[in-house]
Amino acid sequence: MSALGELGSLRGKKTAGQKRDNLAGYLFLAPWLLGLFLITIGPMLASLYLSFTDYNLIQAPKWIGLDNFTRMLSDERLHNSLRVTFTYVFVSVPLQLAIALLLAVVLDRGVRGMAFYRSVFYLPSLLGSSVAIAILWRQVFGTTGLLNQLLDLVGIHGKGWISDPSTALGTLVVLNVWTFGSPMVIFLAGLRQIPSMYYEAASVDGAGTLRRFFSITLPLLTPIIFFNLVLQIIHAFQAFTQAFVVSGGSGGPSDSTMFFTLYLYDRGFGNFDMGYASAMAWFLLVIIGIFTAANFLLSKYWVFYDD
Amino acid sequence: MRLHIPRVATALALATTLLAASACGGDSGGPGGSSDDAGGKVTLRFTWWGSDTRTKLTQQVIDAYQKDHPNVTIKGEFGEWSGYWDKLATTVAANDAPDIIQMDEKYLREYADRGALLDLKKAQGLDTGKFEPDTLSAGEFDGGLYGLNAGINSFAVVANPAVFKAAGVAIPDDTTWTWDDFARISAEISTKLNGKGWGTGALGTNEAGLNLWARQNGESLWTKDGKLGVSPEKTTDFFKYVLKLRDMKAIPSAEFTSQDMNAALDQSAMATGKLAMSFIWSNQLLAFSQASGQQLKLLRIPSTDGKAADNGSYYKGSMFWSISSRSKHQKEAADFVNYLANNPAAGNVLLAERGVPPNTEIRTAVTPKLKPADAASAKFIQDIGKELGDPSPAPPVGGGQVEKIIQRYTTEVLFGRQAPDAAAKAFLDEVNGELK
Amino acid sequence: MTTETLRTTVAARRTGVVTWARVRPLVIHVVLAASALVMLYPVIWMVVSSLRPGNEIFRDPGILVKDLRIDNYRVGWNALTEPFTRYLLNSAVVVLGSIFGNLVSCSMAAYAFARLEFVGKKFWFAIMLLSIMLPIHVVIVPQYILFSHAGWINTFLPLIVPKLLATDAFFVFLMVQFIRGIPRELDEAARIDGCGRGSIFLRVILPLMVPALATTTIFTFIWTWNDFFSQLIYLTDPHMYTVPVALRGFVDSTSSSSWGSMFAMSVVSLVPVFLAFLFGQRFLIKGIATTGIK
Repeated sequence: MSALGELGSLRGKKTAGQKRDNLAGYLFLAPWLLGLFLITIGPMLASLYLSFTDYNLIQAPKWIGLDNFTRMLSDERLHNSLRVTFTYVFVSVPLQLAIALLLAVVLDRGVRGMAFYRSVFYLPSLLGSSVAIAILWRQVFGTTGLLNQLLDLVGIHGKGWISDPSTALGTLVVLNVWTFGSPMVIFLAGLRQIPSMYYEAASVDGAGTLRRFFSITLPLLTPIIFFNLVLQIIHAFQAFTQAFVVSGGSGGPSDSTMFFTLYLYDRGFGNFDMGYASAMAWFLLVIIGIFTAANFLLSKYWVFYDD
Repeated sequence: MRLHIPRVATALALATTLLAASACGGDSGGPGGSSDDAGGKVTLRFTWWGSDTRTKLTQQVIDAYQKDHPNVTIKGEFGEWSGYWDKLATTVAANDAPDIIQMDEKYLREYADRGALLDLKKAQGLDTGKFEPDTLSAGEFDGGLYGLNAGINSFAVVANPAVFKAAGVAIPDDTTWTWDDFARISAEISTKLNGKGWGTGALGTNEAGLNLWARQNGESLWTKDGKLGVSPEKTTDFFKYVLKLRDMKAIPSAEFTSQDMNAALDQSAMATGKLAMSFIWSNQLLAFSQASGQQLKLLRIPSTDGKAADNGSYYKGSMFWSISSRSKHQKEAADFVNYLANNPAAGNVLLAERGVPPNTEIRTAVTPKLKPADAASAKFIQDIGKELGDPSPAPPVGGGQVEKIIQRYTTEVLFGRQAPDAAAKAFLDEVNGELK
Repeated sequence: MTTETLRTTVAARRTGVVTWARVRPLVIHVVLAASALVMLYPVIWMVVSSLRPGNEIFRDPGILVKDLRIDNYRVGWNALTEPFTRYLLNSAVVVLGSIFGNLVSCSMAAYAFARLEFVGKKFWFAIMLLSIMLPIHVVIVPQYILFSHAGWINTFLPLIVPKLLATDAFFVFLMVQFIRGIPRELDEAARIDGCGRGSIFLRVILPLMVPALATTTIFTFIWTWNDFFSQLIYLTDPHMYTVPVALRGFVDSTSSSSWGSMFAMSVVSLVPVFLAFLFGQRFLIKGIATTGIK
């Protein structure tokens, strides 16, 4: 039997009938359940309650029913922030994942020096969102920044990438893609887990690099691709730090990098309108929830589990 | 799928959190709050924003105070501006606010109007007798004093003599100049520097510019009763002037300006020697001088009629001392604030770190010890003392965001995305919408 | 050398011509080296900036400068109310506690979700994912109130205890995906050998998910080390400040900042995370796979 055939037969196996897992299941889940009820759920429900109130952080919340939600319908800055966020999600997530996957596959070789590259490529993600990085972005993407100096050398006259409303969001996408380190590391770990017997068998079958990638690597990596997809979408919808750092918290220029979460933060902490911010947060939760649910439904068609 | 939600646990968690969330104003002090230690010792929490220089100096004052008051322990908490406000809001919400709070005009009424700050007029042992009269009003409203001025500030033009020299332009006489002079001189510098620098940074990157513009025209950004006091016409004129500066190339490009709005002080165009002039607060002179490596100079804000006394200048509190209304040790807190404001020992350490001292005696005592740039801003504050207009009311609740809002509309105008009148209307509408 | 490169090299030698297969590693190296430069630039810039007087960093940016000094490190180390060692130690405590918590609790929860059939599994799984969909900014205030009632403010507990209780759903989900990639036959074999759920988890699953555990360790280290917001909110006393909170103590957006010290201490704080990554990534390569050969 060829390796690929073997793969196909594995797919069909499913061990069923484990009825006596209830106790074990809840025992293993105990720390998480404890955390859920002691730490997570309370504040979540509190924010749900606050979303129906007028709450300025200093005085007690006042119940105002659905007012916060109806206000969202006519809040144009909010609509703009949704546009910005959706653009960001749809452009930056696929780009970042594609690059992370490509580099993970390239770096996942026993070739000498790969450990060095792995570390170097992860560096931007190590830097986090420190103050130093904020300064650096301006140094690189500013009107007289490094990028424009380089462009000048080849005769292109650059612009203020992060200060022009038409390019600021694009620059943020680039910055995000640049920190592909986290999904890359997860892909690397996933590649690591693919049993090498498949590759050996495929080599014996005479399958080429591309064929091996598409018929072994890709299918066996789908659970990890799926994980990265789900989580990166959630993170992208909650994108905050980069825009906050680069725009100095303003979401500027002209609200062009005013992400939904940044606007929510601005309302909650800047404008002392935590009730409205909570309503926005729950609205975001519904959007993310829909996308995640859709991801899970669709995963049946393309994600392959070994169990 | 069967749902097994342990309802009791959920309800409990919810109830606890909600009760806590709505308990503000009720019983005070979490464990992180101030507390009585054994033996009648009092612990006060004192929070400020600022860099390590300020932290070092402030800690020295705390140490000195503790030496004189062995029964009082003061825990200093330092932080950086934006995180500072998130933390303050959170601790106030949880009834766990520090006792002594370094406050900014932006958020003063936000906290005071909602009862989070103590009326310092009622605080025992706080003496404001030696304060320059005009300096108290900034923290005063509704008959109470909620923030004690910690340093005097004034909006001003800052000039870089080196850039003026490079452009071959003389620094103008700031006691007689008008907005037209300002635009003309700036444009001339830009032309002479030919892309290597510009005459001035844009007006409208800060609400103080609009406030002065309004005050010169008989209006004011805010009124005493907490409303917007500037008309659409004057705001339109203001944006028109900003546009005029752009068209005359007195200011850098829209992109450049929009980038400069949110740059760190040291990274800004003024600090890196690309501008001959810019608008700053007078107590920033030292920071800008250090950053640019030049001895910068403060100039008065131009006026409409060429009379400095009509330029609408006022003393602003660079920052304030406030005391939490929920502090358990208001008397001790007031005593410490009194020490910060009136004690020569404290004054000699702090010097002009938070702005020119409003206590006239302290100011006289420390002036000879100031660094040249701080001495220059102290002299500037002294000089304009005779030309001041009425005190400018603090922004009302919801007004703290106005800086970001005006930056946004100035950007719209500079990029040509909105005409001045449309921007003025939208700006005023939005600010009105924020007020509560 | 891997069997693959060995084979191609042998093939190339045999034919005696420069083939694509032979050039390819070189091309890959050149491309990688070029992109590595782009990735390295910020770090080089940070290091260089940390060696210059603070006010020169902005007037004359770029990285090609002479006259580098280490004064910033000396000054920055003691510029705040505590020596920087204190902040590094505080961060280390929080990071180690978080790593321990995440490794233990998340792997347990993940095992339950991935391998055990119990009533309400899908429901709890959905709840778990929901719990990471709310932005922190709206739950931080209720959470602060909760912890303040527990008397945990200004301790490391609000930063560590949640990790001990697997509130980091990211890692639970990550481990679920990895466990589901482990062939179930291995569980079955162990079960036939008489292993219970607990020992299958300890003896079969955990050793096979080393890459996932390594990933969790690396990420927990880096994210906790860099996490600013919750550490800022929960730690009030400068004795308790962690590195990211302390680093911001050098900066004031409205006045003078000590950029030199800030860059120097940023570089210092980068060393532990970089070492953590260097060390941790070895576990990503070693791998286990089912046959062990690579």
